[in-house]
Amino acid sequence: MSFRCHQIERYLGEEESRIHVLRGVSLDLQPGSVHAVVGPSGCGKSTLLYVLGLLDQPDAGWIEIESERMSQLPDNELARRRNELIGFIFQFHFLMEDFSAQENVTIPMRRLGRLSEAEMRDRAAFLLEAVDLGDKLNRPSRHLSGGEQQRVAIARALANDPRVILADEPTGNLDTDNSQRAFELLHNLVRRGDKALLLVTHNRFIADACDWVHEMKDGRIIISHPHGERISVS
Amino acid sequence: MTPPLYIALRFLTNRKRSLILSLSGVVFGVAIFICTQAQTQGFAQHFIDSTIGSNGALVVRTRFRERYENLSATAKTSTNAAHRLYFEGIHDANEIMRVSRQFSNVACCSPVLRGTVSARAGFENATVDLFGINPVLHVQTTDLRTELVKGDFDDFRNNTSTVIIGSKLAELLDVSAGDAIQLLSPRGEYWRFTVAAIARSGIGAIDSTRVYCHSRIAQSLLHRPYSASMIIYKLRDPNRAPALASHFEALFHHVAQSWQEREESNLQIFFTLRISAAITVSLIILLAGFGIFNVLTMSVLAKVKEIAILRSMGYRRFDISAIFLWQGAMIAAAGSVIGCIFGALMTWGVSQIPIRIRGLLYADHFLVVWDWRHYIWATLLAIVAVFIASYVPAQRAAQLPPVATLRGSSV
Repeated sequence: MSFRCHQIERYLGEEESRIHVLRGVSLDLQPGSVHAVVGPSGCGKSTLLYVLGLLDQPDAGWIEIESERMSQLPDNELARRRNELIGFIFQFHFLMEDFSAQENVTIPMRRLGRLSEAEMRDRAAFLLEAVDLGDKLNRPSRHLSGGEQQRVAIARALANDPRVILADEPTGNLDTDNSQRAFELLHNLVRRGDKALLLVTHNRFIADACDWVHEMKDGRIIISHPHGERISVS
Repeated sequence: MTPPLYIALRFLTNRKRSLILSLSGVVFGVAIFICTQAQTQGFAQHFIDSTIGSNGALVVRTRFRERYENLSATAKTSTNAAHRLYFEGIHDANEIMRVSRQFSNVACCSPVLRGTVSARAGFENATVDLFGINPVLHVQTTDLRTELVKGDFDDFRNNTSTVIIGSKLAELLDVSAGDAIQLLSPRGEYWRFTVAAIARSGIGAIDSTRVYCHSRIAQSLLHRPYSASMIIYKLRDPNRAPALASHFEALFHHVAQSWQEREESNLQIFFTLRISAAITVSLIILLAGFGIFNVLTMSVLAKVKEIAILRSMGYRRFDISAIFLWQGAMIAAAGSVIGCIFGALMTWGVSQIPIRIRGLLYADHFLVVWDWRHYIWATLLAIVAVFIASYVPAQRAAQLPPVATLRGSSV
């Protein structure tokens, strides 16, 4: 499955406060590859993530998933693609606080509607087992620690077996040990599931462990280089 | 269970205080609506039952003949009455009744000779409304037998020198069953009668003036050449009385009046009271709807983050909107069911409250009517109010841009 974006442009704000946030960003995410986007605050990393995640529409350029241009699709179709093909992980995990860990993981599956209630619960339990939370299925998410909540968010992102996972500083709110653990978990799951992972991070160690590192500045990817190597300048 | 319904249920049950607040508004509105409608319609229904029970659902009276005039004179007149000549009394009552009984809606009918005379008992005098009746036919047509509060109807039926008098008139003349009263004929002769029974119809105007005697006695007393001045009818469907009245007018050439026409002014009062109560209670339900609007709007504001998460996971705008509409629907459904039960209990409770009414109506407690339509109307009103209250917050939730929430402070 190919996931590509080409010459993405995005403006934010109105009139005088209008900012040119993305200035022609192109990326190609291959299955099984892990990409890190790094750069200073305000360079457009998160905006890029939301545009790639079909939550925000680019002002120019296109996004292509399996040779299908997403920019021409109506809102409902974009929502369906998001549900089927993309998994999101946020810095502040953004779980439904009143829902249990298991219920949180079933939410994307409910929208997809391919599994029965029992099958959804079984799959959620399986995914939570995979992130070492098998013993906390029914615990309300607000009663979980920060590291545990982020692992629930990882399990939730994998609920519908997406082809691409987009993570916005997934370890930004965790201590060093939990950061390392969450990243390794995510890395292994992506590798095993032959998925593509694009994560925005400020953590240099995590970025260095990725297959590709894209350095952003002022809305542009200025350098993309594979693991331990610097190869191109845009 | 659809995803929006599941999430709506979870959202709702997690906010118990808001749920109770919203629910209590709907329950209160629905219950009050049912209770007030039951009361206002209860008094109206009691009045209708009493007036039909005493005076019949339809009355045929004076004979008329169309007045034939030249065209220029006809053009100047505007009402039907001006085109008619009226003739007092009904001379062919038996024939009219025979034909009337062929109509499916006519259950029975009874001739009445009516007149106004003075009554005297001891030192008390009163002007009374004399009804000369055929006892057998009259009890079949009216509720006279069940209206008796003292005495025996058979005593009246078997003795032509007896009368039945209204309960308030009996109080006024200070007489009871077995006492004597005198009726003054138009010739100035006092006719002596024994009070066989006392009747209470529940309508003040009847109970304070009505005296029943045998029709032949009434004819002699009133010196009338005819035995009936009106025929009263008991109908199987009293609501169809106006149509039958106009049909009888055309057929018999006698004035025919339905109970709706006869009691128009009183019915207008009851109708106005009922509408007034309905408007007041509808405002309560609308206020409850306003409360739900506030609760759901606050809920949307409190769930901005959850809405953004759901959108990021592929939930459509419609799904987000449906989550809040489902919450409203569940509040409306639960509120209506509980409100209907509560309304029924309130109605029963109100019907037990003692109240002394002596005037237009006679009652010792609040009168209520049990009508399933009140429950349907209250439920429909609650559903409409809650839907309107839920719609705006639901639309607002659906339009929230998820990126703005997810982005937080980063660009």
